[in-house]
Amino acid sequence: MRRAAARLAAVLLGAWLAAPAGAQPPPAPARAVPALVTELSQRRVEITTGFTGADILVFGSTERPIGEGSDEVLVVAVGPPQPMVVRRKVRLLGFWVNGPAATFPEVPGFYAIAGTRPAWQMLPEEARQSNRLGLDALPLRAVGAQGPAFRAALLELKKDAGLWVEDVAPVAVTGGRLFHARLPLPATVTPGAYRVEALLVRDRRIVARQELEFDVVRVGAAAGIANVADRRPMLYGMACIALAALAGWLGSVLFRRS
Amino acid sequence: MQVYLPIAEMSVDALLLLGIGFGVGWLSGLFGVGGGFLLTPLLILIGIPAPVAVASGANQTLGASVSGLIAQWRRGNVDWRMGLVLVVGGFTGSALGVQFFVLLRRIGQVDLVVALFYIVVLGIVGALMVMESVRAMLRRRRAAPARLHEHTWLHGLPFKMRFRKSRLYISVIPPLLVGAGIGILSAVMGVGGGFMLVPAMIYILGMPTSVVIGTSLFQVVFVSANVTLLQALQTGAVDIVLVLLLLAGGVAGAQFGAAMGTRLRGEETRALLGLLVLAVAANLLWGLVTPPPSPFVIAPLP
Repeated sequence: MRRAAARLAAVLLGAWLAAPAGAQPPPAPARAVPALVTELSQRRVEITTGFTGADILVFGSTERPIGEGSDEVLVVAVGPPQPMVVRRKVRLLGFWVNGPAATFPEVPGFYAIAGTRPAWQMLPEEARQSNRLGLDALPLRAVGAQGPAFRAALLELKKDAGLWVEDVAPVAVTGGRLFHARLPLPATVTPGAYRVEALLVRDRRIVARQELEFDVVRVGAAAGIANVADRRPMLYGMACIALAALAGWLGSVLFRRS
Repeated sequence: MQVYLPIAEMSVDALLLLGIGFGVGWLSGLFGVGGGFLLTPLLILIGIPAPVAVASGANQTLGASVSGLIAQWRRGNVDWRMGLVLVVGGFTGSALGVQFFVLLRRIGQVDLVVALFYIVVLGIVGALMVMESVRAMLRRRRAAPARLHEHTWLHGLPFKMRFRKSRLYISVIPPLLVGAGIGILSAVMGVGGGFMLVPAMIYILGMPTSVVIGTSLFQVVFVSANVTLLQALQTGAVDIVLVLLLLAGGVAGAQFGAAMGTRLRGEETRALLGLLVLAVAANLLWGLVTPPPSPFVIAPLP
């Protein structure tokens, strides 16, 4: 948290130094402040063997006071894409079995959006759709079985898993200018590069945006195991056999009751 | 205490896994079977994806059977020759089974087929066990003389081989087929198959009960090792963290169960085990026929 605050200060300072000083007659110091400054509480989320999910804090400040009719803020986070299959359960001879399937080749593994108000209240519909702001604005194209029900089911199940989050809590505002939003990453997030975008909306138009990134990485034992299993499956299989046999033998020695 | 499973890509309560391991281990010690048939459905029940549950179940069975095999081997209750013939059949069967599993995963029917396999196999085995033990309990009252083993047409096949420890001189074809069948089931269900192998050895091959447990453990250890390796290579679904947690609970439970099992009578134990097996099958059947909570399921593209 302290590191992040320091980074925010550095960003503010950097922005101030980088402001065009000599081009125009010296502007008033207040004008040099960018319309929107944002930072993340951490740039790296580590999946360890004790990982149970994480919260990422997106925070920043705006040039003008935040409020309805003035500056408003939207925060969007998108995880690495992942191909998904949606299957409909059908009844066959009294059993519920997996029936027709739709494949969605490009689905964000994680998606979260929050705003000082819901996006559809802030922006015209076309702007919202073209900027993909909101779960219903995600371009989800299906291969295989068609029909809106598959798409709806994907949305519903992703939301249930906590992987797609829309307007669960509004972006909180402190002192009129400082805003922060919490991105809840569940324990099932996929490792990869995540993109966070903060948008400044003024008069139903996006006037500024800032992009940030953070990485979700496996570290320690979890990373080692997943890596070996993926790249050296033969070695991994052998190790699994040896470890299980050793554990079984060790257990019988330790817990022998005779 | 939550622990992150690197292959299943989810976090689960470690105490829950230890508890499941202990419970299954206790039952397996009590009844002298691996307990894989209980473990895999339980893992699926707590939300572990079916491919991971099956692949890791096979690996757990390996660990759970090793200590039993060592104990039986010390007492000289393992028919190596018969074990090797069964293992040869088992390797072939498990290789076929893993290919079948890969195919199922591609067409998205793992959960259904695994459940159906469980229902059919457990239903049959459970019913046979209950019937047989009830008959045995009745027979005990009448005390009819029994033959060493029944001779069927299976014993007349060619390629005869002498199995000294089992006091048998039979064709190698039946043990090979039995081994292969158990190997397929082992790969698809993630079990060692002891609960099917033991009756098959007694009733089909006619082996004496004294060497049946040791020899079946021998086959289970090698075949589940083979399944573990093939699953790691083909589906990458073996989760070693999950396996070790289950084993930690399981080996402890097995010792307590075994100590208790010696005080129970053979027929009663088998009847109880049969009822337990039937209960698991009925529960899985119930899960297939009741309407699912959501009419859709999602999964990452394999």
